[in-house]
Amino acid sequence: MNTPVLHLEGVSRIHGSGELAVHALREVSFEAYAGELVAVMGPSGSGKSTLLTLAGGLDEPTSGRVVVEGTDLTAAGAGGRARLRRTAIGYVFQDFNLIPALTAAENVSLPLELDGAPSRAARAAAATALDELGIGDLADRFPDEMSGGQQQRVAIARAIVGQRRLILADEPTGALDSVTGEDILRLLRARCDAGAAGVLVTHEPRHAAWADRVVYLRDGVVLDDEDAGETVGARR
Amino acid sequence: MRRWLTGWRVSLRLARRDLARHRGRAIIALVMVTLPVLAVVGADVLMQTAKVSATEGMDRRLGTVATARVEILDTLTGVVQAPDPLNGLGSGEPLSRPTSVGDIEGVIGHRTMLPMPTQTTEVVRTPHGKETMVGTQLDASAPLARGLFRLESGRWPATPDEVVVNKAARDRGVGNTLTAVQADGTETTREVVGTVADATVRSAAIVVGLPGSLPVLDDAGPSQAWLVDGPPISWSQLERLNALGVTVTDRQIATHPGDYPDPLQYSSSDSGTTMQVVALIVVMALIEVVLLAGPAFAVGARKQQRSIALLVASGGTPAQARRVILAGGVVLGAIAAVVGVVGGIGAAWLLQPLVQRFSGDWLGPFDVPWPHLLAVAAFGLLSALTACVVPAWIASRQDVVAVLAGRRGDPKPGRAFPVLGVVLFAVGILMAFLGAGGHGELTVAWSAVVCVLGMVLLVPVVVSWVALVAGRFPLAIRFAARDAVRHRTRTTPAVAAVAATVAGVVALGIGTSSDERENRETYQPSLVMGDASVTPSYSYVSVDDGPTDWSQVEDVVRDRVPGARITEVAGVAQPVSGDSWTDVQFRDPAAATAAVDEGQGEISPGTWGSTLGSDVLVSDGGRLPPLVTAADPGGDVARALRSGRAVVFSSDRSKAALERVTVEVQPTDDEGQPVDPHSVDVPATVLYRAEDAATPVRAILPPALAQRAGIDAAVVGLDVEQPHLSKTAQKDLDAALQDLATPATVYVERGYEADPMARIVQWVLAALGAILMLGGTLTASFLALSDARPDLATLQAVGAAPRTRRAVAAAYTFVVGFVGAVLGMLVGFVPGLAITWPLTAESYADGRGPYLEVPWLMIAVVVLGLPVLTALVVGLFTRSRLPMATRIG
Amino acid sequence: MSVKHALLALLEQEPMYGYQLRVAFEERTAGTWPLNIGQVYTTLSRLERDGLVTAGETDSDGHQLYRLTAAGRAEVTAWFGSAVPRTQPARDELAIKLALGVSARDLDLADIIQRQRSATMKALQDYNRLKRKATDLGHELVLDSLIFAAEAEIRWLDHCEAQLRRTADRAVR
Repeated sequence: MNTPVLHLEGVSRIHGSGELAVHALREVSFEAYAGELVAVMGPSGSGKSTLLTLAGGLDEPTSGRVVVEGTDLTAAGAGGRARLRRTAIGYVFQDFNLIPALTAAENVSLPLELDGAPSRAARAAAATALDELGIGDLADRFPDEMSGGQQQRVAIARAIVGQRRLILADEPTGALDSVTGEDILRLLRARCDAGAAGVLVTHEPRHAAWADRVVYLRDGVVLDDEDAGETVGARR
Repeated sequence: MRRWLTGWRVSLRLARRDLARHRGRAIIALVMVTLPVLAVVGADVLMQTAKVSATEGMDRRLGTVATARVEILDTLTGVVQAPDPLNGLGSGEPLSRPTSVGDIEGVIGHRTMLPMPTQTTEVVRTPHGKETMVGTQLDASAPLARGLFRLESGRWPATPDEVVVNKAARDRGVGNTLTAVQADGTETTREVVGTVADATVRSAAIVVGLPGSLPVLDDAGPSQAWLVDGPPISWSQLERLNALGVTVTDRQIATHPGDYPDPLQYSSSDSGTTMQVVALIVVMALIEVVLLAGPAFAVGARKQQRSIALLVASGGTPAQARRVILAGGVVLGAIAAVVGVVGGIGAAWLLQPLVQRFSGDWLGPFDVPWPHLLAVAAFGLLSALTACVVPAWIASRQDVVAVLAGRRGDPKPGRAFPVLGVVLFAVGILMAFLGAGGHGELTVAWSAVVCVLGMVLLVPVVVSWVALVAGRFPLAIRFAARDAVRHRTRTTPAVAAVAATVAGVVALGIGTSSDERENRETYQPSLVMGDASVTPSYSYVSVDDGPTDWSQVEDVVRDRVPGARITEVAGVAQPVSGDSWTDVQFRDPAAATAAVDEGQGEISPGTWGSTLGSDVLVSDGGRLPPLVTAADPGGDVARALRSGRAVVFSSDRSKAALERVTVEVQPTDDEGQPVDPHSVDVPATVLYRAEDAATPVRAILPPALAQRAGIDAAVVGLDVEQPHLSKTAQKDLDAALQDLATPATVYVERGYEADPMARIVQWVLAALGAILMLGGTLTASFLALSDARPDLATLQAVGAAPRTRRAVAAAYTFVVGFVGAVLGMLVGFVPGLAITWPLTAESYADGRGPYLEVPWLMIAVVVLGLPVLTALVVGLFTRSRLPMATRIG
Repeated sequence: MSVKHALLALLEQEPMYGYQLRVAFEERTAGTWPLNIGQVYTTLSRLERDGLVTAGETDSDGHQLYRLTAAGRAEVTAWFGSAVPRTQPARDELAIKLALGVSARDLDLADIIQRQRSATMKALQDYNRLKRKATDLGHELVLDSLIFAAEAEIRWLDHCEAQLRRTADRAVR
């Protein structure tokens, strides 16, 4: 518990340059520890999705460091970041999370297969992950043949397959009804209780409340409970 | 390595499933790649089938039993031959005496030798008149001759009075007897006792009889040749026989030419050029196929962008992302290759009887040239793979975050590409210049390839300009143009495919039109326009017909052309028998005789020609043929002749000062041996004619000078002024003249008449271009329509009329077709203009050419007509209603 | 909140005595609305007076059991069948605080909003924690009611914040 699974240190991200520069994140520091689910809230444009793409190494910070499981993502290079996504980071998106041409089991085993795991081992790991999420019977279905909630479960299974400890969820319940959405959050919560570190981006307070901690983002800046006034004041 | 393999496994699985899920798109791409493969495979199989292999050829030439065929050439010299004498034959050391059969046996031992002289031409009387047939004098029933002929009905000839014929001869009306015409015109009749089939010839009429059964029209008599049995003839035996002036066609040696030395160094000197042409065709076809299949692959890649983004989010590397798209190419390419090859073989099998109907020879056995087919299949795979390269590259560089957020994640188009395009285009133009400047047609053709490649890189820029301009146009065009830019990856190959096609059509069109113009403008009439000439016709059989009876000829002409103005043309009388000929030359009396042998000092116009019957006329200047008068407006010719001077035309201005010329007369006898050469100096007027000025004859002699030079003057032809003969009337007159005891033939000057083949070639080109263009625009439009579904649904939702969908479809087709056609036209002009130099500039001519003609009509049809036509077709056949469109795709 | 109707609804299922009714109510509503035993008996006597319940037999322990009359049954049915009226809003301290805060000087309203949001989020997290332990559907539904209410408050706070910032932005311009 002493080293965070995910650690953002003074991370800034500026899109574009000059007049058109958009400060998506300013000097954000953030940690997520194993066994912890952290919710990131904020209105659209507050930088919460940018935070997630930086954490997953799909984007690079303009300044600052992003460290996943002790590896500096910037230093790791594109190849290293791809490797980390295969072995350490799992993504769950809002919808269309699954590759339509692959079955549930193939979607789940994808990171392992991309990593060069033997087909049989990858299948076995996928079956285990699907069983853990209670959808072992959906293994051979294609995404078209599953409900939204089932698809999200498969996506979570893919995010955790192969002992990965960082789950990055971007509005994972956005396309679901409230009951199914809640099921998904329970699952995420359970995965974190089982030892994963979760970062959940959402704009629904109800869902954010499943987290251990809630981080508020405003204009690329983190509002903490303690120094909220200061930050807001400073901005004025 | 393992990661590499599993990476491909995932990619191939994704690609396979994606294709299965999107059949329509997959089929478009598949068709674009499969059709060329299928067509080439089909054509290749048919060609290989039609082509007779070395072994098959031996069976046809030697039958199935004989070891070899030996032939004594009566040249009294040794010979040097290639392993197959048909591939090369040279002469060796002179021989002291004719070679005999005994000499041959001295080399190869005593063997069974079945006489088999070379096939001869027989003139045979049929119900249609006199016709020629191929005659073979051979005991076809002998065991050694087995395989050369197959008896279909009746029996083999038993005596020299009997013959057999083939079905083609039967079709010409040969019944139970056959009348052959001998060299002296007498006729012999043979009994036809059976029908045979020749191993090679199908449609030509043949007749087969025992030696001596058929007349030999050739003076030399039947050739001395035999089929022999026994063991194969060795190379050393062959060389000894060669030294005796005997050629050997040995089954073993001829079918294994690589195993033997080729004393003639028979080498294919043009194989470099052939390879280049093949490479050129392959590259051009590859470009076209890739461009045609490109849009489907581009759309496929676009549809897969979210899958690829997810793959990357799950830790896929850019290489793995690329592979997903490339795997699509591999899968489609492999299917296309297999389907194309199998389908092509099937098509060839089905078309075989049809091809046989058009072929005069029997096709060989059905022949599948696997090495070729593998190459063609590889071509299919390669083209599919190449078509995916750009989409794959784009897919691996897309903005994953944007795509995952539901936006388009196309990478920004590299600015380097248009620049590279301009550079390539410039290089293409330079190459075209070099080609025009003397590096030849191939360089120009390669310049076309380079120009097209440069153009492909420039297409996105042009398309975005079009979208800018489109702001002022009606909704449908505006929509189509903007959509074209938004989906650059789909539009670019479609536009480029059209452009490449049009470029080819325009370039070839300019080439053929210019060629045609050269032919038209350099045409030299043989007579005054509208005049006719009548000259003797030397028939095949009767070479000893004697001098033409001109009064008879004139009667026939007057009969058919009432009131004809006929000029008798007198010239150097040529002996009518054998190979004898009287050659007349003119030279500068100052030039040494030795120099004349090398062509120096000779006085002659640059180009001359007429159908007046002779190029050296005899006339007192009275009634000159109209063509001569027309070419001499000043009347110099008539004046000179009247004053008793010879008129000689020369392309050398310095010779015009000569007052006398030497007339050299060189008659040859029947054997072609010179007899009694003599020369005489005569007063003459030398008239200058430019190198390329049409000059009817070389010289005209007054009768007195002709007599002094020992030249027999006679009527050599008739000039008929303006007979106004239709083509049918001309044919009838010709037939009537042919029927005379001393037959003659008529020629009517009708000016330049375009070669119908050139016309046909142009139309075939245009049709091919239209098909390719239709293919390119239609597939792109189909893909665009399916892409634009949500937008069209929105349009309909805000109240657009149902026909808007049709209008948008038609507009998109037009934009792709028109932009492509205009670009293609511009590109096509580069090699098109360049090719006119090597094609029409005569290297020896001074100043004339190159000829340039741009076929504007054809270009207008291709550039304006075809896009409008395709747009209309698409507009007509597009369903105006959307089948329950949704915004989620 | 109608205690009267809640008791009638509970009695519809089975006859119960006063304390039993209180326990059942708190169980169902997860103790969200604590009920005074005195209030239970007062309500029961009023219901008896109105002829909606009858005090009947006693159980083995001597508790007086109440039972629904036909009129009482009709009343329950009518209650379930009718929508809960949106009565005049309760006096919401938070809303009043913010409304007054807008005009007060030297007050960082954004800070107040953020503090309130954090507090409400804490409550929301507590509700979620309770919900994870809940086994009874009724209990869960009541928790959900609280959760959605708290969520609505957070959203309202978000909205207040956004409005505040927009006004501030306009003032700057």
